[in-house]
Amino acid sequence: MSVDPEFENLVKLYYRDLYRFGFSLTRSEADACDLTQETFYIWANKGHQLKDLGKVKGWLFTTLHREFLQMSRRQERFSDEPISEVADNLPPVAADVVNRIDARTMLGVLGQIDEDYRAPLVLYYSEDLSYKQIADVLEIPLGTVQSRIARAKTHLFQLLTETNHRSHQST
Amino acid sequence: MNTSKAKETLLLYRGPIDDCDPQFEEALAHARGDAELAQWMREQSKTYGTIRSKLREIEPPSDLAEKIIRNRPIPLRRGWTQIIRKRPTSFGRGWTQILQLAAAIVILAGITAVWLSLSQRGRHPLVQGQEIVVKGEVLDMTCYIAYNMSGPEHAACARDCIRKGLPVGIKGEDGKVYLLVGTNWRRGEPLNSQLAEYAAKTVTVKGKVGTRDGFAMLIDATVVSFGVETAFPEPVVDDHDIARVALLVAGKRAAKR
Repeated sequence: MSVDPEFENLVKLYYRDLYRFGFSLTRSEADACDLTQETFYIWANKGHQLKDLGKVKGWLFTTLHREFLQMSRRQERFSDEPISEVADNLPPVAADVVNRIDARTMLGVLGQIDEDYRAPLVLYYSEDLSYKQIADVLEIPLGTVQSRIARAKTHLFQLLTETNHRSHQST
Repeated sequence: MNTSKAKETLLLYRGPIDDCDPQFEEALAHARGDAELAQWMREQSKTYGTIRSKLREIEPPSDLAEKIIRNRPIPLRRGWTQIIRKRPTSFGRGWTQILQLAAAIVILAGITAVWLSLSQRGRHPLVQGQEIVVKGEVLDMTCYIAYNMSGPEHAACARDCIRKGLPVGIKGEDGKVYLLVGTNWRRGEPLNSQLAEYAAKTVTVKGKVGTRDGFAMLIDATVVSFGVETAFPEPVVDDHDIARVALLVAGKRAAKR
């Protein structure tokens, strides 16, 4: 089979990021692989429609997220929630506490966060996307993205604190 | 701005990546004059970096990229690849799951065959009603039904597909989708050529509403007016993406050489 170098370069450039996003959404290696593969598969068929190649990363992430939503057959409900008081409730989590946790445990902790909040939180932490781009990828309003990230971050810190306490008690 | 408000804003601040975002300007200025807040920010930034690096430690299976590249569909003609494409095989499914899926397919195929043989004994009546006017987005029905593709990002493909004579439809403002059947479709009626340029744009059509086997359509459809607005805003471009695409293009050129 002939190899399309452009396609190959694109795969090598983004498959890790897409896989991580897919894995954080599904918490399943097989499903994350399927989502990543399906995303590039759709790109191979439909990518030529994207006139502005500067938007390729957002396009790929949006496609993966759409595929995930189709896969889980969920209906999205959008609402703007205020961030007020979230910052005051943020439990202090030191970097060395996080350092003691391995990546798999971190994913397990993320998995306990509701999916509507998990997707923007993962994009916030692991991808160099602006808030507007995260809103475009997830196809939800900017204000909702920010409020969801703020709340998800508080929840994540609470869960990390609990995980840290449990590991202290067991040792 | 007080410290509490600044803290609320800076909760979302990630460091250099957000430096260009004007929503953080005032809070950052406040933090420069508040030692306690500045210390809180440093701790937040360090924790952010640690969580980020933990998440980025996750690596996909070693053969994933190779499998994606190997399963790349081979296009025959632009816009027609989906007809000959071979779907990629699924990853890591257990044999039990595969056998369960196969059994389900066999049972469903059996039920479908029985249903088809029963239903084909009768005719498929066309239920035709009154003339209605529908305003909405022009759809290339093949891509819309098969892949849920619509909107401005899909406009070019939709235009090609409609121009080539694939079924054209309209999605009304209430979300209802109709297949459009023109007045002289047997003699190559002009509806497709009229609507191709308006793919993903808003038009108004009228026709007799009808259904066959649950599919809604507008029969003897004619265009009442052509709109120009698109339904969706354009996404933003990111400098990082431009740089990455520049690398891609350079790689492609190098490969050609």
